[in-house]
Amino acid sequence: MADRSPSFDQVSRRGLIKGGVAGAAVTSVQAKAQVRGGAENTAAEPTVQRVPITLDINGQHRELTVDTRSTLLDVLRHDLELTGSKKGCDHGQCGACTVHLDGTRTLSCLTLAVQAEGKAVTTIEGLGSPDNLHPMQRAFVDNDAFQCGYCTPGQIMSGVACITEGHAGSDAEIREYMSGNLCRCAAYPNIVAAVKQARGEMEG
Amino acid sequence: MAQDYTPVPAAKENMGQPIARYEALQKVTGAKIYADDLPVPGRPAYAWMVTSGIAKGRITSIDDSAALAVPGVQMVMTHENRPPLGDAKTFSSGGLAITELAPLAGPEVHHDGQPVALIVADTFEAAREASFKLKIAYTEDTPTATFGSPGATQKNLKEVNPSFEPIRFNDAGAALAGSAHTIDSEYYTPIQHHNAIELFSTTAYWDGPRLVLHEPSQFVWGLKNAAAEQLQTDSETVRIKSPFVGGAFGSKAAMTHRTALAAMASKQLGRPVKLVAMRDQGFTHSGHRQETRQRVRLGCDASGKLTGYDHTQWEFTARTTPYSNGGLEKTAAMYDFKAVKSDNYVVQGDRNVPTFMRSPAEVPTVYALEAAMNELAAEAGIDPVEFRKMNDTRVDPVKGVPYTSRSLNQCLDAAAERFGWSRRNPQPRSMRQGEWLIGWGCSMAMYPTQMSPSTARVTLKRNGTASIEVAAHDVGTGCYTIAAQAAGERLGIDPTRISVQMGDSRLPPGPVSGGSISTASVTSAVANACDRLNERLGLPADATADQRRAAIAAMSMPELDATGSWFPAELDQKAVDALYEGGVRIVGGSTDKRAMYAFGAEMVEVRINERTREVRVPRIVGAFAAGHIMNPRTAHSQYLGGLIWGIGSALHESTEIDHKRARYTNDNIAEYLIPVNADIGEVDIIMVPEVDDEINVLGVKGIGELANVGTPAAITDAIWHATGIRIRDLPVRIEKLL
Amino acid sequence: MRPFHYDKPATATDAVTNFRPGAQYFAGGTTMVDLMKLDVMKPARLIDISGLEKGRYDFIKWSGKSLRIGALTPMTKLADDDKVRARVPMLSDALWLAASPQIRNMARIGGNVLQRTRCPYFRDTSYEQCNKRKPGSGCAALDGGVTRHHAVLGTSDKCIATYPGDFAQALVALDAVVEILGEDGPRSLRFADLHVLPEARPDRETTLAPSDLIIAFSIEDADFPRSKYLKIRDRESYAYALASTASALRMDGNTIADVRLGLGGVATTPWRAREAEAALRGGPATEAQFARAADIAFAGASTTDENAFKVELGKRTMVRSLLETARMEG
Repeated sequence: MADRSPSFDQVSRRGLIKGGVAGAAVTSVQAKAQVRGGAENTAAEPTVQRVPITLDINGQHRELTVDTRSTLLDVLRHDLELTGSKKGCDHGQCGACTVHLDGTRTLSCLTLAVQAEGKAVTTIEGLGSPDNLHPMQRAFVDNDAFQCGYCTPGQIMSGVACITEGHAGSDAEIREYMSGNLCRCAAYPNIVAAVKQARGEMEG
Repeated sequence: MAQDYTPVPAAKENMGQPIARYEALQKVTGAKIYADDLPVPGRPAYAWMVTSGIAKGRITSIDDSAALAVPGVQMVMTHENRPPLGDAKTFSSGGLAITELAPLAGPEVHHDGQPVALIVADTFEAAREASFKLKIAYTEDTPTATFGSPGATQKNLKEVNPSFEPIRFNDAGAALAGSAHTIDSEYYTPIQHHNAIELFSTTAYWDGPRLVLHEPSQFVWGLKNAAAEQLQTDSETVRIKSPFVGGAFGSKAAMTHRTALAAMASKQLGRPVKLVAMRDQGFTHSGHRQETRQRVRLGCDASGKLTGYDHTQWEFTARTTPYSNGGLEKTAAMYDFKAVKSDNYVVQGDRNVPTFMRSPAEVPTVYALEAAMNELAAEAGIDPVEFRKMNDTRVDPVKGVPYTSRSLNQCLDAAAERFGWSRRNPQPRSMRQGEWLIGWGCSMAMYPTQMSPSTARVTLKRNGTASIEVAAHDVGTGCYTIAAQAAGERLGIDPTRISVQMGDSRLPPGPVSGGSISTASVTSAVANACDRLNERLGLPADATADQRRAAIAAMSMPELDATGSWFPAELDQKAVDALYEGGVRIVGGSTDKRAMYAFGAEMVEVRINERTREVRVPRIVGAFAAGHIMNPRTAHSQYLGGLIWGIGSALHESTEIDHKRARYTNDNIAEYLIPVNADIGEVDIIMVPEVDDEINVLGVKGIGELANVGTPAAITDAIWHATGIRIRDLPVRIEKLL
Repeated sequence: MRPFHYDKPATATDAVTNFRPGAQYFAGGTTMVDLMKLDVMKPARLIDISGLEKGRYDFIKWSGKSLRIGALTPMTKLADDDKVRARVPMLSDALWLAASPQIRNMARIGGNVLQRTRCPYFRDTSYEQCNKRKPGSGCAALDGGVTRHHAVLGTSDKCIATYPGDFAQALVALDAVVEILGEDGPRSLRFADLHVLPEARPDRETTLAPSDLIIAFSIEDADFPRSKYLKIRDRESYAYALASTASALRMDGNTIADVRLGLGGVATTPWRAREAEAALRGGPATEAQFARAADIAFAGASTTDENAFKVELGKRTMVRSLLETARMEG
């Protein structure tokens, strides 16, 4: 949990090894032409590690081998063709990738797939189907709780959890506990109405 | 939320039924309906766009050796090695490209975030890792960031847009000089980004000479033609698939660099390539709402009748491509002005090119006009609702053409009644609850009714079902649903028995999904196709549903299809033909014949903590009149979204720019703030009945860009009412109220 | 992300004894994975401590008025704990007002206190200047950058990046102690000594050694039913603080017997306003006293044009938080 910087002094020393080009970065470095180097670490840089994992996805046992860097979201979308979970930011800012891990709402974009090893993953595809909708899915249809629909899988997964966590007691509480899911079409009042409708059915 | 909040209102006078969205079940079950979800033949490669970290300068060297050494990396494309490309015209030159700058055109850097390389690898992780290892060196020049920055150059809009005419209607200066009350105020509106939750993606693959592009698009026929032109291939060999769009708001209308980049990479590698611009890259990839300055001088006589109106707008735009929204001819049409003068300037800097964003011209210009109206009403001591009503007009005063319909006053009355406006004490700082200051404010909302030619093919089947095919687009607006409703009404078939295909350039061409034109244009073409079918079935125009059903059951062929087309009265058949070339013709607002606008009235309550000054909006009421409402469910949702956009525009949204480096610093959606659920209290929407038989076939006006216009003026007026402080630069942040 | 080796040790002892240079611990991943994607953090090894010893470090234990919380306790669990909410609402508030429900489910309280700044020049490696990312490279924020969100307290001419968290303000106010397992065994540290000011080396944010693992937080006296965390931000939820105050009061009649103040959104580290506390102790709980204390708390502020408002806002937030705390049941 110690999120300290790695040893940056090492990085800057590294930066002096080789001249000729300026350092590169996520989006290429804002560099003056007086070329300070950005050579890669010549010491042993780790190589890509691929590990076998077992996941229980929507009740199905799946075995696959993943790059340790792959997020659960990318594995769902790229490897398992479960594209219901959406990438809206890739940095835990929008909630469109929300899935349930062992029943807990979780951002799949900030979860490494290896961390989901042995856990039960529920995605929107596993929640219900067109002819067997989950009450939350039905409530979203009934209350027009979406427009473009892109944030909807995350909203629905979050809505279910909002109720199971016990945070759907009032409109104000629903609003607060649904605030981790951005909706740019701004269907918010309809989403609150949908959560209320589903709450009635889920709590029976 | 009020206990009686109704997310899905029942149909009232002059409305269709509030049926559920055509694609509702797909959207709640995670079906593969968005471009980036569609399957591709074979395992795709993943592309990562590398973008410049400087706003102005020149690439001096590129070292891709370390990037290419990353296992799985297939290519690094830069200006040094990219295949040749053709020209791509920008929107203002009749094309669809967002910028005159071609992808990877050369070493020059013209703005922050300019794509400078494309890395393609077997996996997403390898492509991103390689981007960390690509070494690009630059020389950097001092960039011009925004208004007031060194090097900013101002031009009259006419210099960059010859069709622009400043307005000189009577003598506004004299009218103002002779007014009993005047105000002279300057306003600022910030940079905003669309930030649809769906990222900008393009997946490309080739089948011999045929290119398939999966790309979320507001204009698939335009994109097909523009991509073909840029890639120097026959447009017949290009297909765009975009069944549903995950939010657009204008950002997915133009063609960006990524389309050609993905297509070129796929061709070179001989496999599908998936390219997704990351959220931060999206801030410089597909435009934004440019920041503006507005100066408004407005006067009225002692009785409150408006006299002179003088409005100047400055829009900040790109050096490479001086995109502009203009819009002052529309504000000049809003009230019974006796004299109008308006001027528009563009100011250029080293920035990426702005683009359409939900009500592009209207959001800044109507905010300024409506804020000025509120200030003048206060100056004259007249209730701001009454002030607007007494200055209503039935004609565009400048052009002298009549409104086809205009229900602003009815909207003001309906909103005032629901809101309880009559209880408003005009004195600022007159309402409070505990430590919360309370204020009420109002504004007019308007959006021009715009239309474009469209075609549509409708196929009737003997089993009593039908299908509609049109390359229109659903960006969350409900376009599939209302097309089915339009056909169902004409054919006597339940809309749930009508299948709809859209968002594919193989379908008959539809209009660009922009300017709120889709409903009017697409339903008109669908209606035309249905009329042709009815004619071929020998049905009279007033046939009953039973007669229609009987005629369909008696068809000799199992299927019968007709392609309909439609164009607005100001255009001709040539505009339909141009659609097939990806051309765009949009008419609306005030033409030489008529003035076509939808109107609304918005009233808002704000609460401001007396001490810490955070502003909250516990309730907002919007009343809107927009002709025939096809579906009150989807209409309500569009108004809802618009009002909330208006709240965000007033209080939250602003892209921050580093003035020294001309770079956006809050290029993420943790710090580019859009409202979250907790920001939104009671939202009350009233659909005021309005009939407009003149405007188009079904009498509909576009509504997607209506409700977010004006809201910031209502909110800033409410803030003034609560605190006595006039804020004239948006958004209203805490520091402005301390 | 750059390649890394992933480890999932079974025990805390394994995690610490097998630690190698270049490694990082992580549990929820909400900071780590975010910053690795941006190439701001590039550990050679990731040590996944989320499941250490089957929840041994996921606990909330009261012993009289002392509270001990395992470092791997999810934010949600602590925020929703009824006893915590009743006896020390400040702790609960500081958690549920932070981030989003999903992030609070993922993030553990140990990692939470070590989250990194949101300074845009730190988070984007295409900016050459950032002393926190690259010591000696300069500070883009101070060199003409956007600084509305930056700190006004505890700054230096090297760095003005704001500490972004909320929970740490409550911990610092409550005199919490950090329990650490290090290479030389267990030890403890005052929470107030965990974070360091960005003086010569803004990249060094804490006094922890790389292999140090936070095991728990303990608060000897956590019985502050009259306490709260007030967070002022640009939107109602899911936003970082512009200014926040963790405040606790103990009254002896009309006299303030004890007061605790932690300030957020305005400082480079979790900020304890000790001089302001001293000025209040033994005096009456009045608005005038609170305002005087707020002036003291911000006396050393250093501002830019864009963040100067945080001084006034910070003071008002502190006064409001104290007034609201004073109105609570003791």
